[in-house]
Amino acid sequence: MRRERNIRWLIVPALALLAAGTLYPVIYAGYLSLLQWNWGSEAKFVGLRNFVRILSGSGFPKALFNTFYFAVFAVVIETILGLALALAINRIRYGAGLIRTLMILPLMVSGIAVSLIWKVMLDPTLGIVNYLLSLVGIPGPAWLGTVPTAMPSIVMIDTWWQTAFTFIILSSALKSLPSEPFEAARLEGATAIQTFRHITLPMLKPVLVTIVIFRAIDTLKVFDIIFGTTGGGPLRSTESVQTLAYQTAFKSYKFGESAAIAVVFALIILTLCIIYLVIDTDDGEKA
Amino acid sequence: MSVSSKHAFWPYAIALPAVAVSIFPIFWILTIALKNRVDAFAMPPVWLFSPVWENFGRAWSSTGFSGAFFNSLIICALGNIIALVAGIPAAYYLNKRHVPGRRTILIWLLISYMLPEFLFIVPMYVLFQSIGLYDTVIGLALIYQVFTLPFTIWLLRAFFADIPEALAEAARLEGAGTWRIVWRIYVPIAAPGIAATVILNSIKMWNELTIALALTFENAQTVTLAVAGFRGYASIDWGAMSAASIIIILPMALFAILAQRRIVQGLSLGAVK
Repeated sequence: MRRERNIRWLIVPALALLAAGTLYPVIYAGYLSLLQWNWGSEAKFVGLRNFVRILSGSGFPKALFNTFYFAVFAVVIETILGLALALAINRIRYGAGLIRTLMILPLMVSGIAVSLIWKVMLDPTLGIVNYLLSLVGIPGPAWLGTVPTAMPSIVMIDTWWQTAFTFIILSSALKSLPSEPFEAARLEGATAIQTFRHITLPMLKPVLVTIVIFRAIDTLKVFDIIFGTTGGGPLRSTESVQTLAYQTAFKSYKFGESAAIAVVFALIILTLCIIYLVIDTDDGEKA
Repeated sequence: MSVSSKHAFWPYAIALPAVAVSIFPIFWILTIALKNRVDAFAMPPVWLFSPVWENFGRAWSSTGFSGAFFNSLIICALGNIIALVAGIPAAYYLNKRHVPGRRTILIWLLISYMLPEFLFIVPMYVLFQSIGLYDTVIGLALIYQVFTLPFTIWLLRAFFADIPEALAEAARLEGAGTWRIVWRIYVPIAAPGIAATVILNSIKMWNELTIALALTFENAQTVTLAVAGFRGYASIDWGAMSAASIIIILPMALFAILAQRRIVQGLSLGAVK
């Protein structure tokens, strides 16, 4: 077999784009985070003062808490729901294709359209959701309008939007599982629950880990559905790290402080990436 | 996994409500878009009505909407072209087992796909302002490579991995160079995979909001920004807002219905491989 000689040039365009798109900004963001710089004014080097300010203030810790609160609930609910739906629909013989097509539709809707749709549906007086609740005698809350209900509402909206992702991936994973262990279990008279716990779940584990990590990183970056519905309110109860970074950079024009927020947050996400890479390389040389 | 021999009905009892919940919000916003002002606000809701089209007209002709629609089309086209031109050779390279820097580059791809937007938005804002790419469609198509390119390379590498090495070997013995092998063998065979990649990248770019919000002002406004413009404070025009939402959903929903299998194939390869 003749070795391909010099094919390094094949990777050059991609590396150039990646370097310009990620390497340069990451280094520049690190530098910016050390400056006190409001767009349009003179930049001043302040060392780590931006970091001290954001970590000791109330805005960033609160946004960080909100973001994790949102991410944990959204990921747990979406994974369990997606798994349950995948298991159920895997048993369907007629119309499964159509059901899958209809169920992935929410995934095609942009975050901003998602938020407008739910804004209309969750309107406390004119929305369909509270009307439907009133039919069964439940007085609907003001959903996005009050502090205790706003974040749960955002979780609910994200669940509607993204459960299709966990569902569709777990569906494909289920279809690709070998059938022998299931037949053996049936011959041995295992119950459905035993089969699920001892066969299905362990075999799905690698896919479940991947889904949880991907959804975790995605939900931590939440922006669109908050921007489109509450804008971070009421009383900052739905302020996420990314909406705060947006406010800081493009409403207050504090570029240095916004960069500091982004840097701290990126380190948190990077940690998750590393955990994923470590878990992923455990089960064989994939990358 | 084989389907159980006895035919159960309980899965339908779970699937059908799930389908209803998935499509009801889209259906509901469509009915609001097709209602006149009185019917849209009626409680109990009006289920039977004669549709009107004025909301769509108002949405489409509102400030900058049609321009933004075409901007988004151009950005998707450009973004896909750049991603394929840079991504196909890169995927071929990274598909080879023993090439220098392979693992590092793959990890770099994964990480850049996962970085929070604001880490590069502010630096890019400064850079784009100074080199004239701020508020341009080409600027957005370029910056979208931050997620489009890693995804493209990742997916195409998975598709290329299924192509037998022997095909390339045979072509090489007949004197074909690497360039010909990539474009004449790998690309045609992986065409379904490339289609899946283009579809998923288009959905992502078409729906992107955060970066577009920061890096455009007026000329290169995208369709998501135009739709965001409808969420006013005091007097929301529900009809036009709903119609605008439908206009932005429609192309991607049609995509999804026509290419359901490709989308699923791409998504599961992206997440599993």
